[in-house]
Amino acid sequence: MRLALILPLLAVPAFADVNRTLEHHILPGHITLGAATAELASIAKADCTPDAVRPAFHTAYDAWIGLSHIHFGPLEDQALTLAMSFWPDPKDRTGKALTRLTAIADPIVDQMDAFNDVSAAAQGFTALERLLYDAQPDADYACRLTQAIAIGLASKSKTIVDDWPAFADLMRTAGEEGNTRFQSDIEAQRVLYTSLSTGLKFLHDQRLGRPLGTFDRPRPRRAEARRSVRSLRHIQLSLAALEDLATTMTDIDLTKTRAAFADARKRAKALDDPALQGVADPAQRFRVEVLQQTVRAIQIAVIEEIGNPLGITGGFNALDGD
Amino acid sequence: MPSRRSFLAGLTSASLTPTLSWADVGNPIALSAALRPDGQHVLVGLTAQGDITFQIPLPARGHAAAAHPHVTEAVAIARRPGSFAKVIDCAQGDVIQTLHAPTGRHFYGHGAFSADGTLLFTPENDMATGQGVIGIWDRSVGYRRLDEFMSGGIGPHEILRLPNGSFAVANGGIRTHPSTGRDKLNLDTMRSNLAVFDANGTMIDMAEVPSATHQNSLRHISAATDGTLVCGFQWQGDPFDAPPLVAFYSGNGTLRPAQMNENDLRQLDGYIGSVSAYGTHFAASSPRGGKTLTFDQAGEQTNVLKVTDVCGLCATASKTCLMTDGLGHVHSLSGTGLTRLANHNLAFDNHLVGLPS
Repeated sequence: MRLALILPLLAVPAFADVNRTLEHHILPGHITLGAATAELASIAKADCTPDAVRPAFHTAYDAWIGLSHIHFGPLEDQALTLAMSFWPDPKDRTGKALTRLTAIADPIVDQMDAFNDVSAAAQGFTALERLLYDAQPDADYACRLTQAIAIGLASKSKTIVDDWPAFADLMRTAGEEGNTRFQSDIEAQRVLYTSLSTGLKFLHDQRLGRPLGTFDRPRPRRAEARRSVRSLRHIQLSLAALEDLATTMTDIDLTKTRAAFADARKRAKALDDPALQGVADPAQRFRVEVLQQTVRAIQIAVIEEIGNPLGITGGFNALDGD
Repeated sequence: MPSRRSFLAGLTSASLTPTLSWADVGNPIALSAALRPDGQHVLVGLTAQGDITFQIPLPARGHAAAAHPHVTEAVAIARRPGSFAKVIDCAQGDVIQTLHAPTGRHFYGHGAFSADGTLLFTPENDMATGQGVIGIWDRSVGYRRLDEFMSGGIGPHEILRLPNGSFAVANGGIRTHPSTGRDKLNLDTMRSNLAVFDANGTMIDMAEVPSATHQNSLRHISAATDGTLVCGFQWQGDPFDAPPLVAFYSGNGTLRPAQMNENDLRQLDGYIGSVSAYGTHFAASSPRGGKTLTFDQAGEQTNVLKVTDVCGLCATASKTCLMTDGLGHVHSLSGTGLTRLANHNLAFDNHLVGLPS
């Protein structure tokens, strides 16, 4: 019986440690998110003026960005992704949704159950940032809206955090009888790897690529969370979270991956452009482009050192395009 | 009693073209191109239970195939901008003929037979003008190039024979030229459409995408038994600003957009790979999103199913939908519910092509 358990492992050249990622990355990250959003709600309830709420907003947003690459699980099952944070937002849906609510001082902000049904663009961190950093025509209403969003973020986070342990069990018992969600070990490993690769792609294409635009048409106003001057911080938090995911999910030698992350970390730290507004300046732009190239180097190292040894390749169909 | 001459003629053609029906080769209900772990591309037949009935080597990566309505013959058409198509006897496992696109033309990976199986229609690019063309090939004389007609747009992708014998063509609207690979040359001005032709190639209707979403490229179509078409799009603009990627067509030059859940829509990378009409339901797969969405007859989204690298979809006689992915799984969609049927050691390619039952 022992032999039967060991043999399959010997046949596999490399394996991912799903449990370690759950224990050291995903579950603690959610505990942090739950605590930070609860604190945010409690502070906003006591004093909803921007000055009072901003510090807790930053702490909670940090916790969210540190998890924003974990798309699967309770967040996805409850379809709460957009309601936590609505970005990218090319049509300014957040601005429009907040304007609609504010224009009529919609009393829905005082009924939490109903507030969960307003546009997702008005519910998350991206909406809260507007209220805390843009001038508000109606300070009293902005205050109530701030409370509604903060309380909503806390309650959404709580349902996600509460559901994670059961979902983690499904991942740990991948391939066992009756587990229809993860029918083999590799399926659980694949969702972690997909989070890593799509998280890196999002960092490269959206968090960096969106404000960069093109040389002839840089788009500094498209930088994520530029109002609260958090754009670079989001890049740094993403790098840290993705490195944590990469290094907990496998025991494979990650020399190139670690070096690429270190390079990106160093360049991000040296950027000295917290809202990425330098993308419109040719000299400063160059340094953001180099940072983006270091993210590309991480993507390549991750494919080589994690994806290939685990036998997880990009989708045959997803990469085809036709 | 046949004359000696007709007997010999029959013998000759029998040796070249299949005479068996699909039921004679294990009752496959669909064809799919696939990639084996050893790197060999193949064409496989799948049963309603997800089993493989035959596996035939292909010289290169396939895309979709056109299945003959009566005999075990399929034409595997090169993915764009390929210029060959292989006529395959699925009973013998032989490539019996290679079709070459005329000079200055290339295929788009799809094709369809006429209802009686005598003609093959292939969407093609007239590279010099960029206009879409539907090539007509006469199977009865060794797939001689018989004629062609304008597809009604640029970049014709899938062609589909409708239950009433007419044809629908998804004109994707994107101009490409092999000299620039798959570069899209007209994104600023593109406008995709669905064109419907009678069996003689005369256009009887056309439905364009609205000008506000002119970058929505129609690629794939599937018909319900009542003739309603489900249309799958690939959005060429910002993926976070994608309009609905599924629409329905019931005539009158109109495309009716589906009502899609926004959370799901934003996770599809603006990309639908295949669509299927099965019973009173519709499905659309997004390999990039790892999701298949289902819709009801009112066009409202009814479910979202997570399936990694999903793409191939095909209705079955029992009104379920067979679904394949790049990891070798065959699934069954019944209404809005998903069951996994089988797991094969190969990667299924983009499309499942339904066979006559």
